Amino acid sequence: MSENSGYDIRSILNEMREEYWQGLSEKVEVQDDLLECITFILGGETYAFETGYASEVIRVPKLIRVPGVQGLISGIFNLRGEIIAAMDIRSLLGIPLLPIDAAARIIVIKSESFTTGIIVESVRGVHPLPLEQFEAVVKSVDQSAREFLRGQINLDGEMTVLLDLKRLLASPSLIVDN
Amino acid sequence: MSTKYLDIFLKEAEEHIGSLQTRLLVLEKEPGNGSLIHELLRNAHTLKGSARMLGFEDISVIAHRMEDFLKEMEDGERAVDSDSVDLLLQGTDAISRMISALEKGVDSPVDVERFIEAFDKGLSTSDAILQSPAAETEVMGDTVRASVKTLDSLVNLLGELIINKKRFEDKTLELKTLCKNSGGTVPAARIMEFQQALDEDVLYLGYVIQELHAEAMALRMLPLRTITDGFIRMVRDLSKSQGKEVDLEIRGEHIEVDRLLLESLKPMFLHMLTNAVDHGIELPEERLARGKPRKGTIRLSARHEGNSVLIEIRDDGSGMDPERIRQTALKRGVINKEEAEMLRDDEALYLTLRPGFSTSEIVTDISGRGVGMDVVKMSIEKVKGNLTLKSEVGVYSEIQLRLPPTLAVIDALMVTCSGEQYAIPLSYVQETIKIRVEDIATVAGKEIVSVRNSSVPLFSLATMLGFGEKGAIIAGGKVSAVILKQRDQTIACTIDKNNGTSEIVVKSLGGQLKKVRHTFGATIMGDGNPALILDVSDIFSSAEGASTAGLRKALQQSQVFVSRGKVLVVDDSITTRTMEKSILLSNGYEVTIAISAEDALEKVAENTFDLVISDVEMPGLNGFELTARLRQMDVYRNVPVIIVSSLAKDEHKRKAIEAGAQAYIVKGVFEQGTLLDTVESLIG
Repeated sequence: MSENSGYDIRSILNEMREEYWQGLSEKVEVQDDLLECITFILGGETYAFETGYASEVIRVPKLIRVPGVQGLISGIFNLRGEIIAAMDIRSLLGIPLLPIDAAARIIVIKSESFTTGIIVESVRGVHPLPLEQFEAVVKSVDQSAREFLRGQINLDGEMTVLLDLKRLLASPSLIVDN
Repeated sequence: MSTKYLDIFLKEAEEHIGSLQTRLLVLEKEPGNGSLIHELLRNAHTLKGSARMLGFEDISVIAHRMEDFLKEMEDGERAVDSDSVDLLLQGTDAISRMISALEKGVDSPVDVERFIEAFDKGLSTSDAILQSPAAETEVMGDTVRASVKTLDSLVNLLGELIINKKRFEDKTLELKTLCKNSGGTVPAARIMEFQQALDEDVLYLGYVIQELHAEAMALRMLPLRTITDGFIRMVRDLSKSQGKEVDLEIRGEHIEVDRLLLESLKPMFLHMLTNAVDHGIELPEERLARGKPRKGTIRLSARHEGNSVLIEIRDDGSGMDPERIRQTALKRGVINKEEAEMLRDDEALYLTLRPGFSTSEIVTDISGRGVGMDVVKMSIEKVKGNLTLKSEVGVYSEIQLRLPPTLAVIDALMVTCSGEQYAIPLSYVQETIKIRVEDIATVAGKEIVSVRNSSVPLFSLATMLGFGEKGAIIAGGKVSAVILKQRDQTIACTIDKNNGTSEIVVKSLGGQLKKVRHTFGATIMGDGNPALILDVSDIFSSAEGASTAGLRKALQQSQVFVSRGKVLVVDDSITTRTMEKSILLSNGYEVTIAISAEDALEKVAENTFDLVISDVEMPGLNGFELTARLRQMDVYRNVPVIIVSSLAKDEHKRKAIEAGAQAYIVKGVFEQGTLLDTVESLIG
């Protein structure tokens, strides 16, 4: 198999393999770069988190107030037989509380230990965001709020803030146990 | 090592430990049973072999010792008596502890060398076993086993639901064509036919849902056996340590109870069984002297009775002595002398359920908590059950628990409070009442009401739940209240509205709302919205020391600030309109006056009223014409109109109805009640 011939099947195959791997790794790189996020409005600003966390988006149903539970949890609602708490995380993040109107939605999130809903003023859509272009959240934001923010990105002159949903969901302040 | 093998081993070991336990207990009763010894030998042997195979040397060593021990028994070299059974049980325990440590991936709690040393000497091995700080009662896993048959039936029923949905779809289609083809006028017969067909579908849907619900509920049920398995051993060990001889008989182990209920029942049973051994069953000599068999018997039996499950724990021990109970209660300050004298004997037994009463001088370590029967009673009430006591001195005592078959569906009173609907478990509700200002008295600044000749403290439910100071809605100078009872206490809580009773499905609030004070779950209402279920025991504990409703003042001022609705009174007679105005005002309505129909039309244009009351004969337009005009206005098309007139003929009444009025009151029989009743019936 070592005779010299113009047609070396082995080198061609090698080339093909190289190309294949290269192509594959390029693709992986591209995927790595973009973070598919659901973007929404809180306090008039655009926020985002990875779509993987969101299980569905619904209109805000009637929220039943829960006695002795104020602030974060606005009330409970029924989602196909499951009782779920709806959270207004704006106060947690120090965001102005603009009125909740017909455009408002609840993003339903299934975490490991519970299902919850985040009330947003409106949902903008699902966008791939380039992870590399994110910058650290400005220091002027309160430490208590910064804890739940992963960074901000300026896309075509518009700021989007990426929420650290993993940390938010792990926060003990979300749990009511009194 | 592959976890697959570990899993297999753990499962196998658990089975062997289980049969070792049971068989050893049988062996104690039948020492001559050779084949039983042989089976035990096989258990120990297999356990030894498998443990060695996986390198669990410690387990294998103990199993080996047990095997040797049993072999000696089989060969007749060792006596088969209660002591040797004891030792073997200790060995089984040690292995069991090691297995569960393996399962949890923690260090073995057993010092094998010391264990073997004690075992060989026939001594207690407890020193060799590290006592875990909290032998937590194991929580039943959150998975259920379901038979394929049950699942098939569920799937089948779901299939029926899908078919039913199809039928509804067909119906909407039918309705559509019906509307389209008829050009706006559908014959009544056609509608009737359609409605009947729809009725049938709804009825069928109801059946399917009912059946599906029952099947799904059945999945929550587990046999009592799940928790009673360890009891025989527990009673044996406990009585032995006290030099007593006790048999525990368990009957009705197959009776199925809601799994949640079972979890809470286990510690109660342990407590009651411990009590029976500690305080019930006498020492053997004492029993013989009283002409009773040497061995005492405790019987735990379960059966269905009506819609509930009845569980009895009865021992043939010394019984409960009412006189001694009275004395102890007096000594502990649970009751005073007068009460003690007034109590009948059967009532005195229940003193043992009061907090602060516990005939046990020693805190026992089996129940682990040293709690009294009051806790048992409270727990039973928590699960909406009922506890009764029976006893005859020197003969027996019996505790009877009546349990609901399931916790998932309960009867509840639905009430409105602070704009939200709440469910109150009916077992806590004594009654609902209406309170007037004159019904309220104060004692040391606390408001009380008298209910069936006893004074009951009055609270505002809204305030207790933390929804501000806004009191209950005061309608017509009266306020609704629900009387709650818990054991021998009652309180009255004001509510906005009583919405009647209903059977509700209990749901958890999910993982985020682990425990919300004053609630223990939620249910879903007909409109699809949730309603919280109130935890009445939390409400009782909040009631202690809480400020009372502050209603007396509010009721006195109610005319001033509470509006039940806006009413327009149209009358040209100053007497009539003043009279009507004052009746309505004093009952919480906002009143505007118009002196003629024309005046009324001007006023309705600039204001929205909930109700119009009009005279008939007035200068200008009359009341009928006014009503007809109102009916032509979009805003007033459906606003109720009451005609108040001195014209009493049927003809006038008919005219009023034709014009669109809802009610007709004749001035001659005009009295406060009639007007108010009519207004209330129309706008509440």
